[in-house]
Amino acid sequence: MLTFLLVLIPWIGLALFLLPKAWVKAGAVVLALVEVLLFARALLAPVGKSLATVDWNWIPSLGVHFHLSLDGLSLFLVGLATVITLAAVLTSCRDRGAAYFFWLLLAESTAIGVFTALDLVTFYVFWEVVLVPVFFLLGGWAVGPARRTALKWLIMNLFGSLFMLIGVVAMGVVHAQETGHLTFQLASLAHTTLVPAVAPWVFLSFLVAFIIKAPLWPLHGWMPPAYSDAPAPVTAVISGVLSKLGVFAMVRILVPLFHVEMAQAEPWLMALAAVGLVYGAELALRQKDVKMVAAYGSLSHMAMMALGIFTLTQAGLVGATFYMVAHGVMLGGLFLILGWYEERTGSRELRTLAGLNQAVPKLTVWFQIFALATLGLPGLPGFAGEYMIFQGLIQSNVTVAVVAGVILVVAAWYMLRLFQGAMQGPRATGRAPGDLTTPQVGLIGALGVLVLVLGIWPAGVTSHLPRLAPAGVHQAAQAAPRKGGERA
Amino acid sequence: MTLLVEILALPLLGAVTLSVFKSVLPRVLPGIWASLLVLGAFLLSWAAKDRLALLPAAHRVVTGSLFVWTQGFGPAIHWALYLDPLASVWTLIITGVGFLIHVYSNGYMAEDQDRGRFFAELNLFIFSMLLLVLAGNLLVLLIGWALVGLSSYLLIGFWYDRPSAVRAAKKAFVVNTVGDVGILLAIVLLYERFGTLSYQGLFSAFAHAAPAPMFYTWVALLLYLGAMAKSAQFPLHIWLADAMEGPTPVSALIHAATMVTAGVYLIARLYPLLALAPGVGEAIATIGALTALFAATVAVFQKDIKRALAYSTVSQLGYMFMAVGIGAYVAGVFHFMMHAFFKALLFLAAGSVIHALAGEQDMGAMGGLFKKMPWTALGFLAATLAISGIPGFSGYFSKEAILGQALNMGHPWLWAVGAFTAGLTAFYMFRVFFLTFLGKPRDQHLYEHAHEAPWVMTGPVVVLSVLAIIGGYFGTGLNTWLAPTFTHYVGAAHFGLQTGPAWATVVAVALAVAGIGLAWRLYLVQERTVEAGTHKAPGRWAAASWGSDTAWSWTTVLPLQALGDWLTGVERSIVGSLMGVGRGVLAWADELRPIETGLVRRYLLSVMVGTFVLLAYFLVRF
Repeated sequence: MLTFLLVLIPWIGLALFLLPKAWVKAGAVVLALVEVLLFARALLAPVGKSLATVDWNWIPSLGVHFHLSLDGLSLFLVGLATVITLAAVLTSCRDRGAAYFFWLLLAESTAIGVFTALDLVTFYVFWEVVLVPVFFLLGGWAVGPARRTALKWLIMNLFGSLFMLIGVVAMGVVHAQETGHLTFQLASLAHTTLVPAVAPWVFLSFLVAFIIKAPLWPLHGWMPPAYSDAPAPVTAVISGVLSKLGVFAMVRILVPLFHVEMAQAEPWLMALAAVGLVYGAELALRQKDVKMVAAYGSLSHMAMMALGIFTLTQAGLVGATFYMVAHGVMLGGLFLILGWYEERTGSRELRTLAGLNQAVPKLTVWFQIFALATLGLPGLPGFAGEYMIFQGLIQSNVTVAVVAGVILVVAAWYMLRLFQGAMQGPRATGRAPGDLTTPQVGLIGALGVLVLVLGIWPAGVTSHLPRLAPAGVHQAAQAAPRKGGERA
Repeated sequence: MTLLVEILALPLLGAVTLSVFKSVLPRVLPGIWASLLVLGAFLLSWAAKDRLALLPAAHRVVTGSLFVWTQGFGPAIHWALYLDPLASVWTLIITGVGFLIHVYSNGYMAEDQDRGRFFAELNLFIFSMLLLVLAGNLLVLLIGWALVGLSSYLLIGFWYDRPSAVRAAKKAFVVNTVGDVGILLAIVLLYERFGTLSYQGLFSAFAHAAPAPMFYTWVALLLYLGAMAKSAQFPLHIWLADAMEGPTPVSALIHAATMVTAGVYLIARLYPLLALAPGVGEAIATIGALTALFAATVAVFQKDIKRALAYSTVSQLGYMFMAVGIGAYVAGVFHFMMHAFFKALLFLAAGSVIHALAGEQDMGAMGGLFKKMPWTALGFLAATLAISGIPGFSGYFSKEAILGQALNMGHPWLWAVGAFTAGLTAFYMFRVFFLTFLGKPRDQHLYEHAHEAPWVMTGPVVVLSVLAIIGGYFGTGLNTWLAPTFTHYVGAAHFGLQTGPAWATVVAVALAVAGIGLAWRLYLVQERTVEAGTHKAPGRWAAASWGSDTAWSWTTVLPLQALGDWLTGVERSIVGSLMGVGRGVLAWADELRPIETGLVRRYLLSVMVGTFVLLAYFLVRF
């Protein structure tokens, strides 16, 4: 029931349209806060199955269940969605209007739906509905060619989901043919074996949809304008929460259902992610727009998560999942900071040594902290995720591990280039912009504490995660003696 | 275990309180508070050492775990701490020398607006460095390793309005990240094979594991990559000279006495691994010797007093790596200790000079300062005699121990390079001393305003002078103290201090004296300028570090940037082609638009046609 409430409460946002304009933001804050509290409730009390799971027979004739569960895998991603949405609502302008806040809350609701869905059709429905709030947020409030930005998001993602729909139907039909029982429950479908002629295509139909949503190279065309032109709170939600949908779906759906196909395609998948890793980092190094540095940096991080997943090892999958949570908080915070930066300088241009440090010391400190977290400083959460992903990579592909190691160095380079270029250097001439206000410091400080806790105690998240690695895939490889001598 | 947490807690407390309250504290308070906390950490480290000494020699280890760092994919990795004789030597130097430098900073930074931030970052460094040496497993070590890098970055860029400082900070961070990645890869390799990262777990696993020379060689090389970056070994030495952009106490503490020796600590800590990796030790020693020689040749041609000292640090680190590379672990640690004394002293004395000359660092504007600041000059002289290896001074003992053992263990070439470099060291260090303190003042205006530093700065200089003179007599005690560490596991057969043949000592000392004589002749008798020799070809290249910055720029920085530019073009065409696809779809949609007539009759017709087609399909199929 708790899970259902988490999905349902943001819909109360419809009532925002009835509120007087001055009250709209307060109403949205209350709803977002309730969501965070519900998550805290789930976190603090070890909730029983009845509380955390809903499984309703939704469309009996088609075997479709409305099945949501707040399990170990989804718990912290749901938490991420609630926290980042609250931060986004709090940092949004008061006068954005009811529609804006409703769409933000709806994005939260649908993201939580995707994270918690355990039925393939339920999953697909939420997956599709996500497109709507983001489409309107981009179309209504992005700067620049907003309509085109929104359409790019919609068309690319619809393109992916259409193939996925075929995949969803195929999975259900094949399972029905094998067992005589039509169902879309993930737990049941995990035991379905597809015939070799069909399997790769079904796998691909899911994979493409997930790659577009994340996004991963090379299907990231919608990302640059969306990340750079959307208002900072919206970018925080897209990059912090919604970008995790694609990679999360890989852990939730691809690994249990298609691990055989994934293992077969492993070299290709690794190559795809490795190219994306290098590509994103290299582009981030040369961007002249502060938000674009973070956007392409994020493209590279998403590839890092994908690498962890594609290893199909427990370490890689745990690392990727942890990195999703950590990255959400870090990138969410970073985009909020970049929004404040833009607000104060009136520009997104990345100059060399703009010299804002003296004028805005508080903004500088938090910018520095989030930049360090994002570049993967050991002791902060980005590193913890990367470490576990490397632990998986070393088992499956040493070459890619070395490439990823080089990219960690490039990551330090582009993040420091961003931070130093924006903030340090000789004192800027002209009118000094104002520093962060106390509420802003409080908000980013809270996210900063979260970052610190995740970095010092990753076990707080990883110990909740279930066994994610499929059994058997790497058994053959692990039984064989490895190069360099036998295990003691 | 209890003391370890408290040793770490004190400087961390300082870093946190000073960051939070820096803007409300009165001017002098941050420095006093930070210094007292480090003094507390020093006293606790001393107490921890005494407790350790009470344990029987074979069990001189205090270890424990605070809580789990991560788990979920194999044995959990803990926040584990570990104190043994080796770590205790480092804790004492970090907090002891660290305390003196904190005290000194109270005077040096007296006029700076940002004292709170300075002392917060200095305390953060002490905490990070203590975490590095007190770590109980490689992962905690890596976290400490990265945090000292962070403190170093923050303090190099302390004056963030200077573009050169900002660039130097970024360079130091990025080069050190190369090392961090090396250690990270070594860690994942070790965890994958042994399922543990704790020193004790790993070393006992080594003892039982099947031989796998390739594996150990790779792991050792990756860890050495980390050591190279942190300890400025060739070719990753490029960041250290630029790091002199930071305030001088920072250069003394981080970029001379403590942080840059972390690589030596790492190699000494992991001696059982080195014993299993054939050839790596020799490689480390050879690169160490070459680094020593290389940096010494660069130091000869420096104009800036701090850059000269920085290259001398690189050179001395080369000696330390030479020692640990050939297995002379105690000699390496001994030299680290002596170097901490005399190099911190050199930097603090140089800082007093810079302070007295209103920030001037060019030796071309110095000269004759002995009369103006005798305490500082005497301190600098003591350190210069020590680093030159003049018998009786601290550096003599540790350097002779390294060179002697190199000969004993059959590395005559290492000895020859080391002895020659010792002569070169005496030459360039006395060049600095003569140019700065003796001769005629070259900038009369600066000279007239120069003055001896306040007691808060000369005090630490005097204490370090005493240590730089008498430090060599700690050798025997150190040898006994460290024995339990190096006998606990196999792999350090020749760890103890050795003395070489007498002729070798005579040659090395003769070379040092010759170096001093040559410096005397060139810079006092002939009164050559600081630029002498840097106009012609070899000197000009040497002054520019033999082009190592240019080489890195051409082989790494520019290609990576070019790749980024090329990919930016690719990205534009990807996004462009996507727009093309979009336009195509829209055009196709326009073609289809006539179908949408709005006439219900037409729609019904198409529904019927569709149904008919479907029916026909199924009829044919069955």
